[in-house]
Amino acid sequence: MLGADVVADREAVQRRIGYLPGDFVAYPDLTAAEYLRYIGNLRGGVDPSATARLAKRLDLDPGVTISAMSHGNRQKVGIVQAFQHDPELLILDDTTKGLDPLVQHEFLAMLREARAAGRTVFLCSHVLSEVEAVADTVGILRKGRLVEVATVADLKAKALRRLDITFEGPPPADVLRAVPGVADVAANGAGVQLVVTGSMAGLFAAAAPYGIASLVSHEPDLEEIFLTYYGERG
Amino acid sequence: MTMLTNVFVKTLRDQRRALAGWSMGLAVLVLLEAALWPTVRNMGNLQDFIASYPEALRELFKIDQFATGNGFFNGELYSLMLPILFLVYGIGRGARAVAGEEEAGTLEVLLTTRVSPVSLVLHKAAALAVAVAGLGVVLFVAVLLSSSAFGLGVTPADALTGSLSMVLLGLEFGMLALAVSAVSGRHAVAVAAASALAVAAYLLYAAGGLVDALRSWRGVSPFQQALADGPLGAGLPASYVWMPLAAAVFLFVALPVFDRRDITVH
Repeated sequence: MLGADVVADREAVQRRIGYLPGDFVAYPDLTAAEYLRYIGNLRGGVDPSATARLAKRLDLDPGVTISAMSHGNRQKVGIVQAFQHDPELLILDDTTKGLDPLVQHEFLAMLREARAAGRTVFLCSHVLSEVEAVADTVGILRKGRLVEVATVADLKAKALRRLDITFEGPPPADVLRAVPGVADVAANGAGVQLVVTGSMAGLFAAAAPYGIASLVSHEPDLEEIFLTYYGERG
Repeated sequence: MTMLTNVFVKTLRDQRRALAGWSMGLAVLVLLEAALWPTVRNMGNLQDFIASYPEALRELFKIDQFATGNGFFNGELYSLMLPILFLVYGIGRGARAVAGEEEAGTLEVLLTTRVSPVSLVLHKAAALAVAVAGLGVVLFVAVLLSSSAFGLGVTPADALTGSLSMVLLGLEFGMLALAVSAVSGRHAVAVAAASALAVAAYLLYAAGGLVDALRSWRGVSPFQQALADGPLGAGLPASYVWMPLAAAVFLFVALPVFDRRDITVH
């Protein structure tokens, strides 16, 4: 990992990793500042001003005892401990859980900055809009197995796309049904609803002679893509 | 703000209130016991009183020695009360060492820092050793002060071996609890295992004094190693060596197992 052997040279690797577990727990009897200093010391020393800057950015009061904090504030402590030593690799598990929208927004901005600074971020999330907002590459895990690794754009290109086409004349439902990649064709007056996978060139070539009056394409979001992996196709 | 520089400092810091409380308790216990000494010494019929005890109890609590200050402390404090206190502290803290953090969920982040599993356990073990030794120092001071206040005549050398035997006893079972804590990751299992072995060791020690068939096995019990002929006034018995040796074995068996084990994540 990062060019170092994780077994033989554990210490060198650990220093360069920032990790936030899905169920982050800090020592309840310490203040945020004490906890962050402790973890920082165990990581080989952290610039206190970096810690203070992160805390301020997330609107976290470092003087408060952790047992007196809300879940969201504890999660902020977790975010700061993962970021404070400016690690090259961030591993973050369900991080935005319990954060208010403003802090979520700030956190996603921090991820984008880390990415821009050349850092690698592994973000595990069930909030797909969040993944879509920050991720370059998405891996989909299903029952512990990696079923897909692709860029967000590639995933979307491969995805099912729902189309509503309105024809000038009677809709040629049977013609459309015969086009490869087209499924679920339903005629309804002059309109046809269908689902197409991959490229639409074949569909348009087949439909054009019948006069297309209007066409509405529903952009798939990651959630639909995700569901197709967990559905019958997975 | 305490400077939490490493796991050792953090672990000791977590015990600071407990240590203060236990020190206070130890000192008061020793003082109250010593305050009884002038009365016991002046009992005209002390020998009759001693003879009225069954032989087994006289043997176990060394009541025959009650005529001296050393013997009085040995019987009243060092044969049961103090061993229990040192064992409870050692086992309680040892059991919490790894499993406490693992069960609370704080271990996960700790092990993603530069702290390796092996150094984590060593830091915890060092903190336990220092804490128990600290209680030993408190006991030493309390025994000396009480002895001089009430005329028990306990010498510094006696008080030192007394404290040493209690510290070593507490450490042996404390390290056992710490080892089980690291291997199993479960606080309750560690407490149960170490306590059960401590009770078994005490029974062997007690029964070994009464049952001839067990007499030759008595030396195996850490209680026999710690309490034989004293500990006050017994000098520095060679049998003390077995206790730190056993503690080290527990620790070094646990290290590689914990190093390879997956920790529980919630």
